[in-house]
Amino acid sequence: MSARYVPVGWTRAKLAYDAVLLLAVATYVLLYLHLGPHLADPARPLDGPTLLMRAWGSAAFLLLTLALAIGPLARLDRRCLPLLYNRRHLGVLTCLAALSHAAAVLDWYFAFSPTPSLVALLSSEPVRPFIPFGLGALLILCLLAATSHDFWLSFLTPPAWKALHMSLYLAYALVVAHVGFGALQAATDPALALVVLASAALLVALHVAAGLREARRDAGIAPPAPEPPWVLAGPAEAIPEGGAVTIRPLRGEAVAIFRHQGRLSAVTNLCAHQNGPLGEGRVVDGCITCPWHGFQYRLEDGCAPPPYTERLATYRLRQVGGEVWLDPRPNPPGTRVEPVAVA
Amino acid sequence: MSRLTAELLLAAAGAYGACGLAVGLLFLLRGLDRVDPAARGAHAFRPLLLPGLLLLWPLVLWRWRVLAR
Ligand code: FES
Repeated sequence: MSARYVPVGWTRAKLAYDAVLLLAVATYVLLYLHLGPHLADPARPLDGPTLLMRAWGSAAFLLLTLALAIGPLARLDRRCLPLLYNRRHLGVLTCLAALSHAAAVLDWYFAFSPTPSLVALLSSEPVRPFIPFGLGALLILCLLAATSHDFWLSFLTPPAWKALHMSLYLAYALVVAHVGFGALQAATDPALALVVLASAALLVALHVAAGLREARRDAGIAPPAPEPPWVLAGPAEAIPEGGAVTIRPLRGEAVAIFRHQGRLSAVTNLCAHQNGPLGEGRVVDGCITCPWHGFQYRLEDGCAPPPYTERLATYRLRQVGGEVWLDPRPNPPGTRVEPVAVA
Repeated sequence: MSRLTAELLLAAAGAYGACGLAVGLLFLLRGLDRVDPAARGAHAFRPLLLPGLLLLWPLVLWRWRVLAR
């Protein structure tokens, strides 16, 4: 945002999100360490360091799967939106879990070699392809975590930042190869293979489903109202309290119509930050909250609350019978429009 | 890879990181305020940028030059 930078822009929601995330990861790792020895093949008991390495490795894999699933999940089901608001913290935690996994590997497999452990890792014979795959993924995760502050977004420009952060998909592919060439080769039961396959299949399915739904939705253009230039935006009851519907006029940008405390307001669907789909966001603390990174805007004038300075174009609304009408011509960004009470 | 290649690779990574640290510190002290108005008067967040500056320093130098014009 354009106000002065802070290390982390904490809000109550973000604190709760982080607390739940940290608790979940700590519980997972502790459970893994306690239950792992009982579930392992009795003929090949697991030692402590190996368990620790697997606990962190599997935690990183599951967190990475979650990070990639959140986007399409939030597009498919609005109840998943809160997961999206703080995804960057999830990314940083994923990177820390992956680093813990790498540290456990170095500590155990190479701690006793006379050569420095990193040299030993890189030059270990026979050549193990899972090592470069894992290192590549770790490097990407570190790069993304290191560039997650808002400063990088403005310094690198939003399109470049976004392209950089799309490499999370490459990291996922590398992690799958890392597991496939590593732990899977040594696994004696099919559980690990099933988990990896199911996770990857789930991600593909979610992305395809979200893409199909968007394609279908894009095909729907709002019909003209009897009085030009108004267009019909559907019945007011169709707009969920605290949420929005997105209307696509024949000409011009898509518009998000929000309902908050029984009153309707319309703003452009494009977030001033990175064009996130505001219509998929919710009203939080009385402000429209972007589903992508949580930028907020007031309903009545599209302005970000001070000290922020972003502004959105607003639109005129009218209610005729139970039907909402929208004037698809945008007002200049920040123009105040009185919300329309639902009749 | 051979032990020698591994040692060379790690030495190169170390040198890259050392350059990154130098560029990063210089940028935080001298460049940041000029290229980003939102950073003026904000100090607590600067250490958080260091890992990224270390990894991306060639790109940082280029953007710094472009933005400082
Ligand atoms: S907050 Fe980033 S796109 Fe809206």
